[in-house]
Amino acid sequence: MPDFILDVQGLETTFKTPDGIIHAVNGVSFGLKEGETIGVVGESGCGKSVTMLSVMGLIPNPPGNVAAGTAKFFGNDLLKMSKDEIRAVRGAQISMVFQDPMTSLNPVLTVGRQLQEPLTLHLGMTKKQAWDRSAELLAMVGIPNPQDRLSDYPHQFSGGMRQRVMIAMALSCSPQVLIADEPTTALDVTIQAQIMDLVKRLRDELGMAIIWITHDLGVVAGLAQRVLVMYGGFIIEEAPVNELYANPSHPYTLGLIGSLPRVDETEHKRLFSIEGLPPMLFEKPNQCPFAPRCKWAIERCWKENPALEPVAPEHRIACWVDVKTGRPR
Amino acid sequence: MSENNVLLRVSNLVKHFPIMRGFIQKQVGAVRAVDSISFDVKRGETLGLVGESGCGKSTTGRSILQLYRPTAGEVLFDGVDLVKTKGEELRKMRRKMQMIFQDPYASLNPRMTVGEIVGEPLLVHHISNEKETNERVKQLLELVNLNPSFATRYPHEFSGGQRQRIGVARALALQPSFIVCDEPISALDVSIQAQVVNLLEELQEKFNLTYLFIAHDLSMVRHISDRVAVMYLGVIVELATRDELYSKPLHPYSQALLSAVPIPDPMAEATRQRTILEGDVPSPANPPSGCRFRTRCPIAEAVCAESRPEFREIKPGHFVACFFAERFL
Repeated sequence: MPDFILDVQGLETTFKTPDGIIHAVNGVSFGLKEGETIGVVGESGCGKSVTMLSVMGLIPNPPGNVAAGTAKFFGNDLLKMSKDEIRAVRGAQISMVFQDPMTSLNPVLTVGRQLQEPLTLHLGMTKKQAWDRSAELLAMVGIPNPQDRLSDYPHQFSGGMRQRVMIAMALSCSPQVLIADEPTTALDVTIQAQIMDLVKRLRDELGMAIIWITHDLGVVAGLAQRVLVMYGGFIIEEAPVNELYANPSHPYTLGLIGSLPRVDETEHKRLFSIEGLPPMLFEKPNQCPFAPRCKWAIERCWKENPALEPVAPEHRIACWVDVKTGRPR
Repeated sequence: MSENNVLLRVSNLVKHFPIMRGFIQKQVGAVRAVDSISFDVKRGETLGLVGESGCGKSTTGRSILQLYRPTAGEVLFDGVDLVKTKGEELRKMRRKMQMIFQDPYASLNPRMTVGEIVGEPLLVHHISNEKETNERVKQLLELVNLNPSFATRYPHEFSGGQRQRIGVARALALQPSFIVCDEPISALDVSIQAQVVNLLEELQEKFNLTYLFIAHDLSMVRHISDRVAVMYLGVIVELATRDELYSKPLHPYSQALLSAVPIPDPMAEATRQRTILEGDVPSPANPPSGCRFRTRCPIAEAVCAESRPEFREIKPGHFVACFFAERFL
């Protein structure tokens, strides 16, 4: 598949803990096209963040270990690169925005100093050039008086403003790929709307591809073109965004969409709830990871883990059952 | 609305937290967390209280229960003014009103067993002896769909959703008529949120409970509430029945807040008109003069800075604090 700029195949990541080995990511494969926005959806512990951190070489080893897989970025495997090689990619061609803007900014350095760093490091700018460019970047993400704010410290910014700074920093070297790990989860809805609006505008202006990790199916609906749903370290459904919401085909996706109340809800009914709890991941499952919570589960689900198979054009699910008929597919 | 239908009447409730400074701890200002709000809660209904972080919604809940003593105002519960009661009398009133907290990890004592946690209110209020308490604890755990044998276990053995059920069981121990639910689901995963909300709804039907449901998730508030109040910077800006508020919000802040909520449906998202607010919420220590919302309001005029708009009943059951609300009728 030559048109993927980032092509991840068979990624597996484990963590060693005192209680045993956690299989956080169990063979994840996906591709990202140029300029495309994909949403990665799932609940806490489903492996969505760990997948992206593994691709970026940001899993600390020990306790973590990227045990298998490839992640080809323009043909070069990120997982096989040396520390220096991947450092040249990270921040320059692929950059990341994290959930909590307070802990991902350095509290003892001014915002200007932190914005300068990637510019001098990756683009070889002088300090003066980098300072001026930093001011432009702050202006681009909508921070008033950018020249003055450069010498402020992170605590002098509000949560939404800090996230804007993070976005400015991530985009400073015009990356081809932006990975956003729940960047609006810690923010209020009106501020979230501001940030989403900003990201959409910058995407249209700069044309980068985005991987947007979130647990909020609403956020993805308005932003992504394609969605991956993760559960227990696997991708269990993958579809274009309209198809996914109109026609969710994996029991977990179906439950997730059904368990959401809508702000434009008109009639009151009980929410659909998925009973039970997410899996613990101490063993690499040889059954469907969702089987214990699935009301459609058949015998085969307890014996074999289904692979991701197409059910419609560009729509793939990992399930033995057809939820429309309740019969094996 | 007949008078005895009202369980709780809050009138001109004010809660200021002093800001102290210097060696002698002189008061230099006050955080005006709640600044004169009034509303009624009817028997058996759920009143949703929404707003962004720092708007005073949790302070309102705690001031009603007298966990914070209000700076001024009246809280009439069943005709008794809680602000004026204290000591033994207040303790007796507390049996009728309970609270469910946001953080299921912080609100359960890690050194007590689940049985001790759920049974403690019964012992504190001398309602039953130890043997009866054990029986009652078992009943309560069954009520919230937990296995009664869990009574001997400790909180760390449970997941977030199960802990929140323990919190619910504790709140129900004294058979209260009124429960303040302070963001009871915001720390939980999406699929678990639906479980807890469905439980709250079942219990409400079973025991004719009255809820004050505090949350920032507008979709969930729409789902669970009969009426909804919107708070901004210490004041209630709008209060109406659920359908009225969500279909025809009259305050510019409610309008912006509702339009900022993402809808899990790409079709609806694509055609939506958004009002994106500029800037951040001002500090409650130094709120704007006149209308609190005027600094971010798209329709503010000179009069908004001069005087505070009255919280008035613009049509039966629909209250709004805006000079220009008629424009949106």
